[in-house]
Amino acid sequence: MGGEIKITINSEQDWKDIVHRCFRCGYCKFTQNFSDFNCPSYRKFKFETYSTGGRMWLIYGIINGEIQWNSGIANVLYACSTCGNCIENCRFDKFNDFLVDFIEAARVEAVNNGFCPEKQKVLLERTENREMFNPYGEINSNNEELKSKYNLPDNAEWVYFIGCTSNYRQKNLRDATLNFLKKAKIDFTLIDEHCCCSPIIRTGQTKPVKDFMNYNLAQIKNTGAMKVITSCAGCYRTLKKDWSKFETDLGIEIFHTIELVKKLLDEEKIKFKSEYNKKVTYHDPCHLGRHMGVYEIPREVLKQIPGVELVEMKRNRENAWCCGAGGGVKIGYPEWAVEISGERLEEAKQTGASEITSVCPFCRTNLSDANQKYSMNFEIIDIIEIFDKLDYEIVD
Amino acid sequence: MNKENVFEQLEHIVGKDFVSNREEDLYIYSQDPGASLPRHVDFVVMPENVEEVQKIVKLANQEKVPVIPMGGGLTLSGLIIPVKGGIVMDMKRMNSIIEINALSKYALIEAGVTTGQLLSFLNENYPNLQPPVPDAPPSATIAGNVLIHGSGYLSQKYGNHGAMINGLEVVLPNGDICKMGSCAVSKYWFARGPIPDLIGLFISSFGTMGIVTKLSVQLFDKPKFREVVFGLLNDPNDIPNILLKITETGLAEDVLIGMQDKPDWMKGYVFIIAYVTGESQEEIDSHIKIFKRIYRKAKARYMKTAERIRKVYLEKPIFAAAAADYRKGGGFEYVGANMPLENLPEAYKKGAEISKRYGIVPTLGSRLIGGTHNIVMFFSYSFNRADPKDMENAREALHETNKLALELGGIPWKAELSGQQLILKKMDPNYKKLFNTIRSILDPNHIMNPGNWEVK
Repeated sequence: MGGEIKITINSEQDWKDIVHRCFRCGYCKFTQNFSDFNCPSYRKFKFETYSTGGRMWLIYGIINGEIQWNSGIANVLYACSTCGNCIENCRFDKFNDFLVDFIEAARVEAVNNGFCPEKQKVLLERTENREMFNPYGEINSNNEELKSKYNLPDNAEWVYFIGCTSNYRQKNLRDATLNFLKKAKIDFTLIDEHCCCSPIIRTGQTKPVKDFMNYNLAQIKNTGAMKVITSCAGCYRTLKKDWSKFETDLGIEIFHTIELVKKLLDEEKIKFKSEYNKKVTYHDPCHLGRHMGVYEIPREVLKQIPGVELVEMKRNRENAWCCGAGGGVKIGYPEWAVEISGERLEEAKQTGASEITSVCPFCRTNLSDANQKYSMNFEIIDIIEIFDKLDYEIVD
Repeated sequence: MNKENVFEQLEHIVGKDFVSNREEDLYIYSQDPGASLPRHVDFVVMPENVEEVQKIVKLANQEKVPVIPMGGGLTLSGLIIPVKGGIVMDMKRMNSIIEINALSKYALIEAGVTTGQLLSFLNENYPNLQPPVPDAPPSATIAGNVLIHGSGYLSQKYGNHGAMINGLEVVLPNGDICKMGSCAVSKYWFARGPIPDLIGLFISSFGTMGIVTKLSVQLFDKPKFREVVFGLLNDPNDIPNILLKITETGLAEDVLIGMQDKPDWMKGYVFIIAYVTGESQEEIDSHIKIFKRIYRKAKARYMKTAERIRKVYLEKPIFAAAAADYRKGGGFEYVGANMPLENLPEAYKKGAEISKRYGIVPTLGSRLIGGTHNIVMFFSYSFNRADPKDMENAREALHETNKLALELGGIPWKAELSGQQLILKKMDPNYKKLFNTIRSILDPNHIMNPGNWEVK
């Protein structure tokens, strides 16, 4: 098995040496205009402990021995969707970028000290299960059936990395992506993929990550592909940001599907023959937005689809309200996760939109769960699924 | 105290989700970002309404448990850390903006409303009105700020923020709910009098007289245009003269003075930061001209400023936490002393000497409160929280600075425990006696933030 991740802020300074820089000034809790608290965890639990500042101080308390690990501390660290609102609002430069890293690094310590909560442990157990290799507990799909259905080659320029959520829970999104890639005449194939490890990285269970990465990279390279595309914001963040912590040069380029769509639109290669006459709003997935800085591309794509009326929610882009699924919250605190999405749906309602679009299967899952729970009657749809409903052709 | 019983009763009053005796929560509430050492907390509780506050206070009286009210927890001087254990009452769930009266210009709010929240609410719904905003992060509460005799934006023009209180709803130590100010007589919370003014009892008393649950604060017209005019002085002895010249014009909304040795280019200068307002850009331009002339006549010079810095100073709330990050060590505290103008030059000189003696980069500042009637002077000490010796060093520097402020005829503001004792030592004995008598009558069981303002 591979070594454990040692998250290092830079080559010289370990995170444990700088975490005490947090002053607990509280900017991290807010929206950008301070109108309300925008940290889902602080908003829910309200004790200062559940602010990012509280977490930084707890982590430092553990480091300096003032407080010892216990299940309560672990609970505080895990009751965070790692949405990154704190990163956007903390005013301490060269510190704010690492706030989520600190929390994830502390979760690694929690795991090492035997305080990983039981519910989150399941993610690792399933991912390491040799019949599954995914956090959903499904039997691993080697994707051969899909390859044959879509007539995909063994060797290609691109690999579509489906991701566990799309492959096991949001198959419509997966199929829409496959349809788009085929229609766009992209030379692509699929691999017998194992989990990208986003769920276990986010929950501090990092032990097997390097092995999983190496396995997936080998699979990708066996196809001869130099480019990987995914429709999952979580996979995108993990492949692009987390994997590079192990391997500075992965030897592949990583794209989100929405980037390819935008490129084709810019090159005027997509010719629409029908309209999508809907009022839609766009939910920024944290893993694509605050974690990777991609805000405008999905919006630009939506604006170019004929008939689409794009309306913004009050909190958007860097200021977006998280869907509540990330960081292990969906499995650890399922009811709260849906509550968080419920708040997003209320916000969407104020826009008058009938559809909520996004580009993340995990957001789609959680928003859909809330939609059902609160009987909100939205259509929750990925942008790539909108393309599946449209008549268009790709011109050379 | 039967801790189990108290905990159960607190749960009964506020619900299980809003009371804690968990180790991790008590750890966080046992300290603040200042230099005070951590102190023991027994419970943290978050009431939702005045009735719950009332019940908690009655329970505390019955069980003789201290109660410590907390707003944003940003006084830095440990005022919300219990001295004798007890219940920290975090007010954040009481966060309603109840009424904005745009004619009588006040906001009626609950005690947990943050400055960020009110500022944002007014910007969106009443763009012509502005609240008093302290030099603090947006999580500071309006109530916390005004009740510690705070200052900040608008202080030069309208006085200290404590003076901007129109009325209070207070849960007294015996559990009675008491309304003060015009609201004691009228349905409007528009003024403080004209009835015997007892509101002062609750200002700067750090929760020792009762728990404020609701308050009315004055709002002010927001000028259409606002600009910051920077100036430079070479000699701190010239500070009183230039401040007098500035206030004579009646044009300054706010005035700040700063002197610091880092970055290097700032060393040796006194910086003047004056805010001017107007109905038009022409008016602003003419005010800037006047200030340039005043600066010249008062041995100062006008300083052109980079757009980035200008924006920082025009931002509300100003990014005050930047001062806390000088050492990148997460620790910061300052002595904010109310000083008479005549002794300001000496305070600057001696303050810098104290800083140097403790190996801290001199970082001094001041703000005018109601013209030159009062100056709040800041002697700032940032420290490395990870280094206990550095924290101890900061505590000693703070203590020496408190002594200096008192020697120069000033009074340390929101002083930590040792600073409070220095003030009490110098206080008129009969004032002290009166204060203690009132306190004992109101709070015979000494449950309200005991240890603070403790007359020994």
